[in-house]
Amino acid sequence: MSAEVLALDVVAPAVSGFIQGSVYGLLGLGLVLLYKSNRIFNFAQAEFGGVAAFVWIFFDTGRGVLPNLPTPVAVLLGILAAVLVALLTERLVVRPLFNAPKITVVVATAGVLLLLIAVEGFLYGGEAGSFPAIFSGDAVNSGAIRVTNQGVAIVVVLAVLSILAALFFSRSPFGTAILAVSQEATAARLVGISVERISALTWGIAGFLAGVAGILLAGTIGLAAPGSLTGLALVPAFTAAVFGGVTSLPGALVGGIVIGIIESEAQALIPKENLPGAGKVALFVALLLVLLVRPAGLLGKET
Amino acid sequence: MSLLEVEELRTGYGALPVLQGISFAVEEGTTAVVFGLNGAGKTTTINCLAGLLPVWGGEVRFDGQRLSGRSAKAIVEAGLSLAPEGRRVWAGLSVLKNLELGAWSRKDRRGTEETMQQVFGYFPRLEERKDQLAGTLSGGEQQMLAIGRAIMSRPRLLMIDEASLGLSPKLAQTVFEVVSKINDNGTTVIIVEQNVGVLPYADQALIMEKGTLTYDGSGSELERSGELRRTYLGEAVAS
Ligand SMILES: Nc1ncnc2c1ncn2[C@@H]1O[C@H](COP(=O)(O)OP(=O)(O)OP(=O)(O)O)[C@@H](O)[C@H]1O
Ligand SMILES: [Mg+2]
Repeated sequence: MSAEVLALDVVAPAVSGFIQGSVYGLLGLGLVLLYKSNRIFNFAQAEFGGVAAFVWIFFDTGRGVLPNLPTPVAVLLGILAAVLVALLTERLVVRPLFNAPKITVVVATAGVLLLLIAVEGFLYGGEAGSFPAIFSGDAVNSGAIRVTNQGVAIVVVLAVLSILAALFFSRSPFGTAILAVSQEATAARLVGISVERISALTWGIAGFLAGVAGILLAGTIGLAAPGSLTGLALVPAFTAAVFGGVTSLPGALVGGIVIGIIESEAQALIPKENLPGAGKVALFVALLLVLLVRPAGLLGKET
Repeated sequence: MSLLEVEELRTGYGALPVLQGISFAVEEGTTAVVFGLNGAGKTTTINCLAGLLPVWGGEVRFDGQRLSGRSAKAIVEAGLSLAPEGRRVWAGLSVLKNLELGAWSRKDRRGTEETMQQVFGYFPRLEERKDQLAGTLSGGEQQMLAIGRAIMSRPRLLMIDEASLGLSPKLAQTVFEVVSKINDNGTTVIIVEQNVGVLPYADQALIMEKGTLTYDGSGSELERSGELRRTYLGEAVAS
């Protein structure tokens, strides 16, 4: 095997891992945001994205009584649906449990996840179908390395959203208020910040991030089945968040990309005969290592 | 009419009552100091006034307006603000951001900027460290920040819980002097304190014991009466 071929064997999965990892990063960002503001882990985070993906194809294909809408409108409706589901979760599940032990709230979000999967199954049917990619065609296709336009779109979306998130949290009053509530809620109430409204805002943003991630990921994997996004992306997104230290927003993004690359390299380099599902095993090992060696995360500081 | 009127105020935690119905009034432009042993109910009183604890019974009026039962947000908007026990600064935000958020209830940008300059006038140390994360400030600096943040809402009544806790006697004195300056500029002040060094600045003194008020009088009278010695040292009142 020549050095050139070897390099390609390593580079090609790195490229696809980077793209996949960007989606994990978006989901991880939402997880970190909710962890910072409510000190909980949201089991339904990836499935908020699943809801977005289903609503998108329902409108894109004009399923049942629904009108057949242009793709951009359908995508927008999908994202809106994810925001709505996140806001409802906040209002109906999280807020009534404001003074309950955190573990109760975490279990309740697992309940939300099960409910969402059930509703998806009811509306979509049990059998697996397929999601189209929003952007078709390839940006680069040189034999060994292939980058789809969908892949480019994912990386661009991640870059734009991270810049917007950075500006939002460092410059805007509401971004600062979210951080203030997460650090000292009592002080936030004392200066007149409505902790309830900030909580709703935080969930709305998390729903938006999940919606964007869900539609991009669904279009990349193609597979459409109730709960498939949770199965595919929840654990990697969680690992991404832990990589970054669970409270660091940039850490979640970096963590997502690292996780995506590790998963994809393991998948490509370890032969299937030796270790089936090597990608997920590598994720698990990476997660364990981080927890053992740097429990505070790679970046290891609250940002 | 007094600026703050408290009548038969009762509150507590869960099912546990703490305040047994306390009544007092604070005049506009004065400084009132609340003394009392640990667990007497000082923080409970002041947190209840700020809207952090529900009012179980009785009434609070501020400038004639009923405040009891209203949210913390409504109360700070009405002009009453609190530098809480334990300081509670936002450790991961800069000094500047802490102060800016203190003005959350205000809409006037220019006025807010003026108040910020005023805070820096009171506490030059905060201006020197305005870009530093609040969590890396010393305890004394954090206390200055907590007071500064409470001033940023431009309150008519400023409440400070444990102003001098953990401060060196010299710094405590500095904080008292600043509070007296704030008071001279027209803000009414209620300050919870264990340090009797605050007495020269007190127009009014209150003593709390087991959820009730046992003394309400002028600061200078308190100094003469020996009531403080009885409260803190358990000695009989010298007559
Ligand atoms: N969160 C709480 N839950 C239950 N009881 C509480 C709570 N906070 C205070 N208490 C009780 O209320 C009573 C009054 O407490 P408070 O904090 O008002 O005292 P304090 O006068 O401020 O004391 P210190 O000088 O120690 O700050 C105490 O008996 C205390 O145990
Ligand atoms: Mg106290």
